[in-house]
Amino acid sequence: MKKLLAMALALTMVLSMAACGGNNSGEGGSADGTTELNLILRAGTYADVIKECLPTFEQEHNVTVNVQELSESDLYSGIALDAINAEGSYDLCMVDGSWMAEFTENGVLANLSDLGYTLDDDIIPATTSICYVGDDVYLAPYYGNVTVLMFNKANVEAAGYDASTITSLEDILTICQQAQADGKLGFIYRGDGQNNLVVDFLPILLSYGGWVLDENNQPTVNTDAFKDAMNYYLDLIATGEAQVKDDLIASVDTGAGTMGIGWPGWYTPTADTPADYIALTGASTAGGETHNANVYGIWTIGIPANSQNKELAAELLTYLMDPEVQKSTVPSGGVPCRYSSLQDPEILETYPQYEVVCQALESGVYRPVISEWTQFYTILGTEMDNIINGIKTVDEGLADAQAQLEELMAG
Amino acid sequence: MKRNILLNQNSADAQTRRFGLSMITPTIVVLLVMTAYPLIFTLVYSFTDYNLLRNLRQPASFIALKNYTDLLTNAYFQQSIWNTVKFTILAVIFEMLIGFALALFVNSLRRGQKIMRTLLLLPYLLPTVTVALIWRMMLSPNYGIVNQVLEAIGLPVYNWFSDIHTAFGMLVLIDVWQSAPFVFLLLYAALQSVPQSQYEAARIDGAGRMKILFYVTIPNIKNSLALCALLRTIDSFRLFDKVNLLTGGGPANSTSTITQYLYNYGISSLDFGFGSAGAIVMTILVLILSSVYIKRAIQ
Repeated sequence: MKKLLAMALALTMVLSMAACGGNNSGEGGSADGTTELNLILRAGTYADVIKECLPTFEQEHNVTVNVQELSESDLYSGIALDAINAEGSYDLCMVDGSWMAEFTENGVLANLSDLGYTLDDDIIPATTSICYVGDDVYLAPYYGNVTVLMFNKANVEAAGYDASTITSLEDILTICQQAQADGKLGFIYRGDGQNNLVVDFLPILLSYGGWVLDENNQPTVNTDAFKDAMNYYLDLIATGEAQVKDDLIASVDTGAGTMGIGWPGWYTPTADTPADYIALTGASTAGGETHNANVYGIWTIGIPANSQNKELAAELLTYLMDPEVQKSTVPSGGVPCRYSSLQDPEILETYPQYEVVCQALESGVYRPVISEWTQFYTILGTEMDNIINGIKTVDEGLADAQAQLEELMAG
Repeated sequence: MKRNILLNQNSADAQTRRFGLSMITPTIVVLLVMTAYPLIFTLVYSFTDYNLLRNLRQPASFIALKNYTDLLTNAYFQQSIWNTVKFTILAVIFEMLIGFALALFVNSLRRGQKIMRTLLLLPYLLPTVTVALIWRMMLSPNYGIVNQVLEAIGLPVYNWFSDIHTAFGMLVLIDVWQSAPFVFLLLYAALQSVPQSQYEAARIDGAGRMKILFYVTIPNIKNSLALCALLRTIDSFRLFDKVNLLTGGGPANSTSTITQYLYNYGISSLDFGFGSAGAIVMTILVLILSSVYIKRAIQ
């Protein structure tokens, strides 16, 4: 029996070592001899607009491009899990701005400058702020997602407002309270998951002049500005309820709900649609100080450091970032971070909402670029959830969040 | 002569033993590779600060029991344990009662047993993701059929998954809906094997329905009942997919189970050291729960 056990253990070791040392050749090659590129992208419009550009590139370069589309959390873990392999499976990846610090600190991304790529002047400058480490480019801002205030036109008009007269958070609260008095839901927020809770709140916090970190990356959630914003937010969400994304869009579209924080990729407003969106002015009170209050959710593209086809991937990235190629994606829902697309008279004639998007992108704010961001929003979102559901008071919840976040940031 | 017979016998015994060992070798190898090896690694990781990405630039450090102390002193982890226990107790009780009642009902049918059996099994055959999405649509505050029906008959409507008073109950309901058919199937099979002669004898002795149930049916299927309860307890204790898809552990952690907690605080942030400690704690809890059955099986 001992011999058998020893043999079994030896076999286990051999199998494990073989598995660990297995040469998983990432160098893509299809059966017909053409090179293969593997893309890992965020599912939805973000991936759709890239996919429609691929056939031309495939023809021109005689390559086959495979696309894997994933949800946000799966995309993050998919890139991270592949990063530990010496030879990666992916050649181009879509990266959320908030992952940038963690990915570059740990060498997940390739230096695009070394591959000959540079960001041009046509790209809205504020959107490129997280794309550099020193002078080197690591990411390119591809899809201009930025928070907007999505609203139902009829409900807003019933409260005596229109898109041009919503100038402060006070106005938003007044409209939502009026809608509630009319038997409708006021403000809808996403209550599913800590990330959504935090992201929907950040534009409000910014409008109050607050932020989650100071310039030394120390948490600032137990501050007067944060408490004022939180108290306002509690009043605002009391006019509506928590819903998941699809329900939020449906509520605002049908008029069952009045407003919510959304993203341009969610909804395409036209003159005939019942809903529209605007960029937040960043003022908490009428005539008060204005702040940059629109939060970026920009999807950038980069090349994994362990890609086996870096040069070809760089060519693909350059092609996808080409102004004309980007402009061609607009009819399919693409939102380039480029003036040449967002200020094009022809495009604005058909898609007037891009003017708002351009303004929001010019004055947007990235979520903190720290490697602890996932843990950070999990802690903050959990405490905000407790406050929203009445488990803790604002003071208790924010004090608890501050203590946990200080511990996190202290390492 | 006698010595030769003994030698032959020993040789035959050894051959039989060798044959037996060679037969179980593949199973032992598979178990070692698929179960023991990952479990040992998880245990080792649980004593380190291993983070998948950070490990690319600096190797994980040994931090002794820090992950365990952090975990066990964390109020949200404690709440997750309580939620998991509460969920397991409620789900198993309802699933056992409903599954048993269905099994008794279908077993008593003279016609249509096959159709009933197939129809009742459908929820169990559906993938959990499908089940979660179906219920999300039905309970949607906008277009959900449940709220529309309630509204039509003048009853209050709820935002089922976002209301702290209803979210947990909805998860129990959905789990019972999907898993009660599993209990039904196992108990129905067990009921088929109860000797009819015992029922006839009980009836001749003048036993009523309840007496037959408690003195004939249940004693005959008690092993199946115990197995069913054990399997459902273990499965309910590991609940993750429905919570993750429908509530993400909210609102206010009211639906956060141990696995969801570990996902939020360990897996999603790639802190596999911390996540491994949680997995070990959970394994120990499941082993404690199933210890009675395992002890009985060994005996």
